[in-house]
Amino acid sequence: MVSVINTVDTSHEDMIHDAQMDYYGTRLATCSSDRSVKIFDVRNGGQILIADLRGHEGPVWQVAWAHPMYGNILASCSYDRKVIIWKEENGTWEKTHEHTGHDSSVNSVCWAPHDYGLILACGSSDGAISLLTYTGEGQWEVKKINNAHTIGCNAVSWAPAVVPGSLIDQPSGQKPNYIKKFASGGCDNLIKLWKEEEDGQWKEEQKLEAHSDWVRDVAWAPSIGLPTSTIASCSQDGRVFIWTCDDTSGNTWSPKLLHKFSDVVWHVSWSITANILAVSGGDNKVTLWKESVDGQWVCISDVNKGKAQRPTC
Amino acid sequence: MEKMSRVTTALGGSTLTGRTMHCHLDAPANAISVCRDAAQVVVAGRSIFKIYAIEDEQFVEKLNLRVGRKPSLNLSCADVVWHQMDENLLATAATNGVVVTWNLGRPSRNKQDQLFTEHKRTVNKVCFHPTEAHVLLSGSQDGFMKCFDLRRKDSVSTFSGQSESVRDVQFSIRDYFTFASTFENGNVQLWDIRRPDRCERMFTAHNGPVFCCDWHPEDRGWLATGGRDKMVKVWDMTTHRAKEVHCVQTIASVARVKWRPECRHHLATCSMMVDHNIYVWDVRRPFVPAAMFEEHRDVTTGIAWRHPHDPSFLLSGSKDSTLCQHLFRDASQPVERANPEGLCYGLFGDLAFAAKESLVATESGRKPYAGDRRHPIFFKRKLDPAEPFVGLASSALSVFEIEPGSGSMSWFVDTAERYALAGRPLAELCDHNAKVARELGRNQVAQTWTMLRIIYCSPGLASATSLNHSVGKGSSCGLPLMNSFNLKDMAPGLGSETRLDRSKGDTRSDTVLLDSSATLITNEDNEETEGSDVPADYLLGDVEGEEDELYLLDPEHAHPEDPEYVLPQEAFPLRHEIVDTPPGPEHLQDKADSPHVSGSEADAASLAPVDSSFSLLSVSHALHDTRLPPDFFSALVCDMLRFYAEQGDVQMAVSVLIVLGERVRKDIDEQTQEHWYTSYIDLLQRFCLWNVSNQVVKLSTSRAISCLNQASTTLHVNCSHCKRPMSSRGWVCDRCHRCASMCAVCHHVVKGLFVWCQGCSHGGHLQHIMKWLEGSSHCPAGCGHLCEYS
Repeated sequence: MVSVINTVDTSHEDMIHDAQMDYYGTRLATCSSDRSVKIFDVRNGGQILIADLRGHEGPVWQVAWAHPMYGNILASCSYDRKVIIWKEENGTWEKTHEHTGHDSSVNSVCWAPHDYGLILACGSSDGAISLLTYTGEGQWEVKKINNAHTIGCNAVSWAPAVVPGSLIDQPSGQKPNYIKKFASGGCDNLIKLWKEEEDGQWKEEQKLEAHSDWVRDVAWAPSIGLPTSTIASCSQDGRVFIWTCDDTSGNTWSPKLLHKFSDVVWHVSWSITANILAVSGGDNKVTLWKESVDGQWVCISDVNKGKAQRPTC
Repeated sequence: MEKMSRVTTALGGSTLTGRTMHCHLDAPANAISVCRDAAQVVVAGRSIFKIYAIEDEQFVEKLNLRVGRKPSLNLSCADVVWHQMDENLLATAATNGVVVTWNLGRPSRNKQDQLFTEHKRTVNKVCFHPTEAHVLLSGSQDGFMKCFDLRRKDSVSTFSGQSESVRDVQFSIRDYFTFASTFENGNVQLWDIRRPDRCERMFTAHNGPVFCCDWHPEDRGWLATGGRDKMVKVWDMTTHRAKEVHCVQTIASVARVKWRPECRHHLATCSMMVDHNIYVWDVRRPFVPAAMFEEHRDVTTGIAWRHPHDPSFLLSGSKDSTLCQHLFRDASQPVERANPEGLCYGLFGDLAFAAKESLVATESGRKPYAGDRRHPIFFKRKLDPAEPFVGLASSALSVFEIEPGSGSMSWFVDTAERYALAGRPLAELCDHNAKVARELGRNQVAQTWTMLRIIYCSPGLASATSLNHSVGKGSSCGLPLMNSFNLKDMAPGLGSETRLDRSKGDTRSDTVLLDSSATLITNEDNEETEGSDVPADYLLGDVEGEEDELYLLDPEHAHPEDPEYVLPQEAFPLRHEIVDTPPGPEHLQDKADSPHVSGSEADAASLAPVDSSFSLLSVSHALHDTRLPPDFFSALVCDMLRFYAEQGDVQMAVSVLIVLGERVRKDIDEQTQEHWYTSYIDLLQRFCLWNVSNQVVKLSTSRAISCLNQASTTLHVNCSHCKRPMSSRGWVCDRCHRCASMCAVCHHVVKGLFVWCQGCSHGGHLQHIMKWLEGSSHCPAGCGHLCEYS
């Protein structure tokens, strides 16, 4: 079912904490405890190191690609309390901005849908979530949601861009009136949904409660053909939940337990068509899940790292 | 070994107990040292010099060594050390350069024993010989190290570092006569205590001052040094040249370093500025601290492991005037918090997965196995397999491919590139797309296309007689002819691209023919946008409304209660492949080939003889008999589209939407359509399928989508004379009141193609300039420039 097409020689000197493919699926960014961020060209099964970005002073936890309409931009966050935004100019990657507004390790970064402009959400162990908005000429405006999650925020994920009503109803030439939303997961075992108010302030819209331990990752499903909103969340307690919201007001979310794993679940990731969910657990195993016709989530394959490593002979 | 076992027995029955705790001191501490019984700790500072007993629950002050009414400068301690063999013996280094020894066994209140006033500046460090009871070493800011025999009144020998201040001195545990000293200029020197004239060895260890060093208690050739350059380096001193074996990068300058007992690769560090935390590092994992103690609110100045054979108790003193005991298990462990896995769903359905490699896997699993792995390239770190797995890590990053059908997106690209969405009759589009889908192994989709074709085309074709109705209205009798012509063309091979193009052209000519004869079609000014509607119209002979009328005119065709209806209805909601359906009875085939079925359908049947089309033919057969109007199915078709969209196959939804055009459009609300379109276009763009994306935008009927192609089409024009932007719409510049872009040859305003020389910026009509250049290479404007055109 699943086969390894490429084992990337990252030459990272320590554990890799995140790997992200870019919009076109041609480049892979990795980050590691060794303080570096590396970018590989992975076209046609190759693996060419394009850039080795150094600038963080601690382990780098996560990386995120911005939409290519803004150029080649990568954000990284680190234990050193910094968020660095890297940009490729004339073939070389350079630091274009450094955000130092957090008092503790920054655990997660996520770019907003490109329709909103360049907006980056950062979740930190200091419990705050900061939102960086590019205002042009190298300036970034910072908004901070303090005490978003007590003890710390582990993950942030934006909702896909949804416009209230049809695009046609918008007066031409004006920017459509988007409702900006994102989800965050934290050490308070909660998933919170945040919504931007009309005055530009961020307000907690929903509190989703089901996990019994730290929420490790949240992933808002891309909305392709789906009228409903779906969020996947995973936690230290080994459980993965699929949250769906069917009503148009967006206020009632119902969880469905996908599976209870025996170990910590670190990551959930949606396929681009949002019909397959990849889940990676503490046992070095990735499982793929798909919703069957009757609404049940079934495991369609295992990617067992450990097994793949073992020689067959 | 002998010595080790002796100490272990000394630890013997009394196991250490305690908890993480702290007590407040009267003043900031500069240094601490633990008694060898692990039950007492001495704290020294500028204005403090006290001994505390470490009890289970708290620190208890036992003795204040600062006695006398007028505290002497000799009591302003920079460093303190407790003798590891004699519980009564202590030594302090004073900021005024005095080295003092203390004897706790003295009966008087003043325990001061001896005073050595030989250094001229602050003494930074004092150190007892590990095995020789009477030997004390000191290192001072004045650049000298002195060795004292406590039985004598003055120093035995003086060592000159020949460089700047001495920051640390430490006796080697391995070699009786050796000690190491570190210097402000970054050097480390190794001395033989018997040879004060010159050092044995010297090397530069750090960039900037080396603040501290510590010999490894077990690997006795190892020396750890910490410097202002934020690094801790571990040196192997047994080799001829000191060899750097490990290097740890910390966040701030390293003030103290202490190997952790019983943990070969662990050491504790603290900093003298910025950072107040104490870190314990695994030197093999130099980027993440293994543990972190965050109790202090100000700079930590002294750290000491409570017992030389117990790894869990760490004592520390700080500028915040507290003395702390840290329990290792209470430490925060950044490694534990760290996410050991990275996971990303790639665009092409591939999965990038980075996972921590356990050492076991590293050692045993390196042989590429003969599975389906295509590029077994591995990254391996050299690690010592004898080591138990402690916390060091490397990650393997693999990219997995998920086989077609489940998540791989190659079908998406292929389908997008090969689907025909417009420019041909509906039946052909459906057939072609069905074929594409079938070739890609997507039988369900293929079947859907075939069904669509049957639903929307067959009745029209079947009612050849009703076509004649429209013929009667003035349509041409050339229709059947065209059909057969088209078919002949299509029959040999649908797959070949040139064929497709040709047939496309044919269709176009057909439409023109139709147009001229029947004038039924009104919107073919652009041959590309005629797309979904035109060919279908031509096949059905008329536009939708009239077609419906036709059926209304034939009441005998409306058999709503016919049991046969059940069949097609079921065929849709089941939504599974009917590949396994056994070949239908022979008579069906006959029926399919019966004259009232169009030739093109027969072709489709012959192209795909075995699989799904058979069972479908039976459906079509039923349709023929009953003549169900396509409207009957529209709800089903819409359901089907929604189903595909929900399955994430928005491609199918949009493709059908475009191909069927008006037939289903009205049944799906505008917003959903828009959403599908935007999703699909976004996907196409991610796959760099710009042409397909543009085609979809063009073919879309939603205004919000088609306006996507009208974005950023503004052209900014500057006046050729005054170089300022032209604001008005005309050809006259507002500012200089002259006509812009005049032709230099004919002196008229150029309203079409304008060419100009980039050297003199004169130019004009393309034809005029070309003609001019045939005769002369000089500028036609007469500026004398030798114009160059590329």
